Amino acid sequence: MVHSTRRLIARLHARRVWHAYLFVAPIVLLFGAFRVVPSLQTLLYSVYRVELLRGRFTFIGFENFRELLADPTFHRAAWNTLVYVLVIVPVSAALGLLFAVVFDTRFPLRELFKALYFAPMVTSTVAAAVVWWWLYNPQFGLFNVLLRLVGLPIQPWLMSSRTALLSIILFSIWKGLGYNMVIYLAGLQAIPESFIEAARIDGAGAFQRFRRITFPLLAPTTAFLLIYNSIQAFQVFDQVFVLTSGGPAGSTNVVVLDLYRQAFERYNFGYAAAEATVLFVLILGVTVLQYVYSKRFEVSY
Amino acid sequence: MNRRSALKLALSAPLLASRRAWGQAKTITLWYPAGDITAGAAHFTDKSFFAPFEAKAGVKVEAVGLDYDTMQQKIFAAAAAKNVGDVLFVDGSWVPGFLKEEMLDAVPDARAKAWLDAVSPEIRTLSDYGKGKMWGYPQYGIDIYGLTWNKDHFKEAGLDPEKPPRTWDEFRDYAKKLTKRDAQGNITRVGYAIRHVGHPHGVVHKHFWALYGAGASLVDDPLALRGGKVNFNNDGGRAALKLVLDMLDVDKSTSLNFPDPRAALLKGLASMQISETVSIHERAPKEAPGLKWGLATPPVRKAGDKPVTLLGSWLYTVPKMAKNREAAWQLLEWINTPEQDFEMCKKYAATPRYKVNWDKEPFKSNAYDQALKQIYPYGKPLPVNLGLNGVMDAMGGAIQKTWHHEAKLEDALVEAERAANKAIADAAK
Repeated sequence: MVHSTRRLIARLHARRVWHAYLFVAPIVLLFGAFRVVPSLQTLLYSVYRVELLRGRFTFIGFENFRELLADPTFHRAAWNTLVYVLVIVPVSAALGLLFAVVFDTRFPLRELFKALYFAPMVTSTVAAAVVWWWLYNPQFGLFNVLLRLVGLPIQPWLMSSRTALLSIILFSIWKGLGYNMVIYLAGLQAIPESFIEAARIDGAGAFQRFRRITFPLLAPTTAFLLIYNSIQAFQVFDQVFVLTSGGPAGSTNVVVLDLYRQAFERYNFGYAAAEATVLFVLILGVTVLQYVYSKRFEVSY
Repeated sequence: MNRRSALKLALSAPLLASRRAWGQAKTITLWYPAGDITAGAAHFTDKSFFAPFEAKAGVKVEAVGLDYDTMQQKIFAAAAAKNVGDVLFVDGSWVPGFLKEEMLDAVPDARAKAWLDAVSPEIRTLSDYGKGKMWGYPQYGIDIYGLTWNKDHFKEAGLDPEKPPRTWDEFRDYAKKLTKRDAQGNITRVGYAIRHVGHPHGVVHKHFWALYGAGASLVDDPLALRGGKVNFNNDGGRAALKLVLDMLDVDKSTSLNFPDPRAALLKGLASMQISETVSIHERAPKEAPGLKWGLATPPVRKAGDKPVTLLGSWLYTVPKMAKNREAAWQLLEWINTPEQDFEMCKKYAATPRYKVNWDKEPFKSNAYDQALKQIYPYGKPLPVNLGLNGVMDAMGGAIQKTWHHEAKLEDALVEAERAANKAIADAAK
C-alpha cells in the first residue's frame, strides 16, 4: 500500500515536472534561438575571418583580437565608452536618488511631476535624440537661446569634438533620470517607517537619518542601479548614432557603434565579433565586481 | 457551426489562400531610400511609374522605402538571410562593399556594351567598373556636385552675382567678403558652409572637389577592385585640408557651427556651398522659393587648372540572391531603354542618360540641364576599390580631426593613410 502510494506520488510529481518544462519550453526555445545561439556564434566568429554572404569562414586564431588591440580607432572608442560609463553611472544614480528623496515627500502636483520626469524613459531614444539634435543646434537651438538670454557664450554642443561627448552624456542622463528615480523611490518606500521613527526619537537629524539609516538600507537598490546603468552605458548606441554618428573626428565613437560599422559597413564580421567579445568580458567583469563589492555595504537592522 | 465544420474550414483556409495567391500576378520588390535623399528615388512613390511595365510584363512591382542611414546594413542583413529585394536602388559608394561580398549580379556583357556605347560620357564613366564590366544601371538625373551660391548675397557684398570665384584665392576672398557677424563678433552667416559632422563618408563627398582638384585622390588606381595604395598623404591632400583650415582659423569665413551646407544655403545662413546640385534644384522651390542661386564648377587651386568635382549616382542593381532575378532584369531592361529614359526625364524634369535624348526638347533648351551639362565633364566618380568604405572612413576622420583641431594636419593624414591602406589590404584578402 505504502509502496503503491509512493509510486503514485512519484508519477504525479514527474507529470508536474513534465508540465513545468512544457510551460517554460517556448520561452527557453525563443531565448535560446535569439539570444544564446547568436551569442555563442559571436564568440565563435571572433576567431574567424567571416565572409558571410560567400559562406566562407577561415580560422585565424586570435588575429582579430591582436588587430583590435593595435587599432587606434578601437582605442578611442573604448576610451569614449569608458568615459561615458564613468560619468553616466554615478551621476544618473545620484540624481535619481536626489529626485526620489524629493518625490518621497508630499507636495502639490507630485504625481504629475513624477510622470513628467519618468516620461523620457518611455520615449523612444531615437525620437528623443532627434528632438535634442534641434535643441543642440548652435543657431536656433533652445540651449544656445537660453545661454544668450543669460549673457553666457553660446556652445557648439554636438558640432565640436570638445563638447560632443558631454552633450551625449547630458542627453543620456536626462533620458535615464526617471528610471533611476522610480527605482530609488520604490526602495525608499520599502524602508520601514519604524526605523526612521526610532532614529528620530534618538535625536538623529534629517541628514544623519539619511546617512545612517536610509542610504545603507538602499544598498541593494543602489547595487541594482549601478549594475543596470553600467550594462546600459557600455552598450550605448542609439543616441550616438542619431546625434553624431560617432563624430566629430571620432570624439563620440563608442564600442558598439564601432563594431556596428565594422560589421555592416565594412563587412568585417570576425573583427566586429572580437569587439563584441571584448565588450562582453568587460561588462561581465564590471558586473561581477560591482555585485561582489556592493554586498559589503548591505546592512540589516 | 459544429466542431467538425469548423475544423474543415480551418484546414481548407490555407488551401484557398494559396489558390488565390496562385491566381495573382508575380510581385517583385524594389528597395529604395525613402525621403528626400535622392530626387530619383522619390519617383517610385508615383503609382504610375511602374504601371506600363506591370501591364506589359504581367509583373507587379512593389516599391519598398527604407531609411537611408541604415539601408546598406539592412540590404546586407537581408541578403545574408536570402530575403532581399529583387531590385536594389543603391548609392554608388556602397557598390564596392557589395562587390567585396560578391553580392551583385553583373549586367550581361552584350547588354553592357550596348549601354556603354549609347549613353553620354559621364554615364559611361559611372557605369563602367573596368573593362566594360557593369554591376547596375545609373539612374537618370545624376548626382554631380557643384558650387552653388546666393546671388543676392553676392550683390550685397559688392560681388558680381553672375561670376562665381574661379580659383582658391578668389574663393577665400569672396568668402571673407560674404561672411556676416553680429555685434558680439559671432558669425551669423558664413561665406562658405562646410560639412564637418555626421558620417565620415558625407564629409569626404563634400571635400572631394578640393582633394582631387589639388592633385590628390583617394586611391592610386580608381578602377582597381583589389590592392593599390591611397594617394592623399601628399602635397595635394595637405593643400586641400589647409584651404578650409585657413578659412576657419585665418579668414574666419566659415564655421563649425553650421553643420549642413545645403540647409545653410537654403536658409540664407551661407552664401556658398559645394554639394549635390540636384538637391538644391529640388529643394529650393519648396524650402527657399525666393532664393536666386547660381551653379558652377568648384574653384581650382590656381588659374589654368582643370576643375574636378564628385560625380555620384544611384544605381539599379539586382542581387544574386533575389528570388525573382529574371523579372528583376526585365524591369531594369524596361526602365533603361532610350524611350523610358526620355519619358521619365521629361516627366520628372531630370537629365537624361542616352546621348540621343540630350538632343531632344525639353533638355536641349533647359537652362538648368544645360548648366549641368557644362559641369559633367569635370566629374569624377568614387573609386571602385573593395576597401573603399575603410578609405572613406579614414579620410573623413582626417578631415574632421584637422578642422576640429584634434590633430595636426600632417599627423591626421599619416594616420588616415595607415588605416586606409590597411582597409585596402584587408579587403583584398
